[in-house]
Amino acid sequence: MSQFSRRQFTGLLAGAAGALAMPSLAFGAVPRVVVVGGGAGGATAARYIAKDSKGAINVTLVEASKQYYTCFFSNLYLGGFRDYGSIGHGYDNLSNNHGVNVVHDWAASVDGSRKVLKLASGAELPYDRLVLSPGIDLNYESVPGYSAEAQTRMPHAWKSGTQVKVLRDQVMNMKQGGTFVMVAPPNPYRCPPGPYERVSMIAHTFSQVNPTAKIIILDPKEKFSKQGLFMAGWEKHYPGMIEWIDPATHGGILNVNAETMEIETDIDTFKADAACVIPGQRAGSIAMAAGVNDGSWCPIMPATMASKADPNIYVLGDASVAASMPKSGFSANSQAKVAANAIRGELTGSRVYEPRFANTCWSLIATNDGVKVGANYKAGAEKIDVVDKFVSQGGESDAVRKETYEESIGWYNGITADMFS
Amino acid sequence: MTRAKKAPTLGVLAMGMTLATALPSVVQADDDILAKADFGYGEYLSGECVTCHQQNGSNQGLPSITGLDAESFAQIMLAYRNKELDNNVMQNVASRLDDEQIASLAVYFASLPPEE
Ligand SMILES: Cc1cc2nc3c(=O)[nH]c(=O)nc-3n(C[C@H](O)[C@H](O)[C@H](O)COP(=O)(O)OP(=O)(O)OC[C@H]3O[C@@H](n4cnc5c(N)ncnc54)[C@H](O)[C@@H]3O)c2cc1C
Ligand code: HEC
Repeated sequence: MSQFSRRQFTGLLAGAAGALAMPSLAFGAVPRVVVVGGGAGGATAARYIAKDSKGAINVTLVEASKQYYTCFFSNLYLGGFRDYGSIGHGYDNLSNNHGVNVVHDWAASVDGSRKVLKLASGAELPYDRLVLSPGIDLNYESVPGYSAEAQTRMPHAWKSGTQVKVLRDQVMNMKQGGTFVMVAPPNPYRCPPGPYERVSMIAHTFSQVNPTAKIIILDPKEKFSKQGLFMAGWEKHYPGMIEWIDPATHGGILNVNAETMEIETDIDTFKADAACVIPGQRAGSIAMAAGVNDGSWCPIMPATMASKADPNIYVLGDASVAASMPKSGFSANSQAKVAANAIRGELTGSRVYEPRFANTCWSLIATNDGVKVGANYKAGAEKIDVVDKFVSQGGESDAVRKETYEESIGWYNGITADMFS
Repeated sequence: MTRAKKAPTLGVLAMGMTLATALPSVVQADDDILAKADFGYGEYLSGECVTCHQQNGSNQGLPSITGLDAESFAQIMLAYRNKELDNNVMQNVASRLDDEQIASLAVYFASLPPEE
């Protein structure tokens, strides 16, 4: 299937919507959409469906936390460029401005045949369409010796929240001239450049408070996102501080021990004074409970983000198989708008336009040294395909790098307004 | 339909001047592009823009794009599409917009209140 023209696409979906949606709705009833997860995908989906349907759809958002701390820009907090409060966001505007019914509870299970979501409190929420954007769970077992208990001494800090504060404290309190070890995650994981931006930001902090500190990255991957840009930046800003060790060199991570702070690899045992261990990842547990996963992640229809397993369930963001898009907040926000458009079309017959996806990931390497990688995408028959992409170049001027960083601040304000205003 | 000359405009931008204020004085608007506008389509397409630019017009790190004159807005987008303006994010955004889409976006964003 090649790219649809807008009008062809509108026609196709209008037909499908008539056939699919209408019989499932009680005559005259206001259709119900339940969204699980108030993060980059879920908050955007709830907001767009409520805002654009103007009361024609009843939207409920189920989110465990009262305050959402973004993973995006949590690295800037580690670098001392943001304070913690500035990355926290609440849900009041979604209810006050758009009439979203926000429920702070844990989504426990899904009965797809009855179209009911069950909450940990015991309540049941019936739905016409269910949107799942639960983000990730951690596969602790992907790193031998790592566990939920070990994470207080060797934080992953990969789901934001208090873990990020734990990591910041450990960085600030590490002994002078000590060694910080990061165990980087295996593919696929949320935010491909994230671990390397994190190392940059920790190095920035060390350069101010602990200039003789060392950082060792033990990576299970042979290469990583924006590698050339990061490595050139590390050489420029933090010469001699950071050592990246690839799997051919370390031979594999055999064990981590949070008691002794030792990380054993095939060639050597590294003694850490502080550590960050980022394990492998999978879709959040509600996706598994709903049975819309195939292994660790949830396959979707590229044109709508509807689950391949259940047409009444949509899966957004990190939990979905949305390749070629990376797992990012920008991607999740973009996918949410495609799903919102499709869901409104199905439930209210509103115009459905061709799906359009985009992503840009900025990373900060040092003060005013920002880099970015981005692309736009279209729905292919089997997956979401890249149309056109770009990436920052080595040797760009300081002015371009500073502008790139400033853009990222604009983006942060933009996307958080697009989720929460 | 002839494209207005846009390339020379970039040389005349004064420091600190936004494109939107600078372009109208030096560009002949491409008069039939806006005839293709479809407001509802522009509203849908704007979803892609407001991941970065704020819908309420506030300017916190990126230029505000609400409440601009629709013709200059369209000319700016054409300049990004033709790579006469050199920001790679905006070139990427504009690269897959056809004239109808640019016109629809221009008319939609022109209808929103400008930056305070
Ligand atoms: C260090 C780091 C830096 C990053 N930087 C960037 C960046 O610069 N740019 C970028 O675009 N992306 C970045 N990301 C990635 C981005 O954070 C994620 O890709 C994005 O948050 C995914 O959105 P989501 O909706 O899938 O999940 P999330 O945003 O994680 O939202 C999931 C929500 O669901 C809730 N939830 C889960 N299960 C349940 C349940 N059963 N019941 C109730 N609530 C539930 C959770 O509490 C959470 O609020 C970064 C990530 C990390 C870790
Ligand atoms: C990934 C972030 C991003 C997205 C998405 C984005 N823009 Fe931009 N936009 C920028 C940046 C950065 C600039 C400043 C570019 C420069 O310096 O030339 C900009 C500049 C502009 C300008 C020029 C404003 C002025 O007065 O100088 C217009 C108009 C514009 N964008 C329109 C749009 C439209 C329309 C969309 C959606 C189709 C869009 N943008 C999507 C980042 C973005």
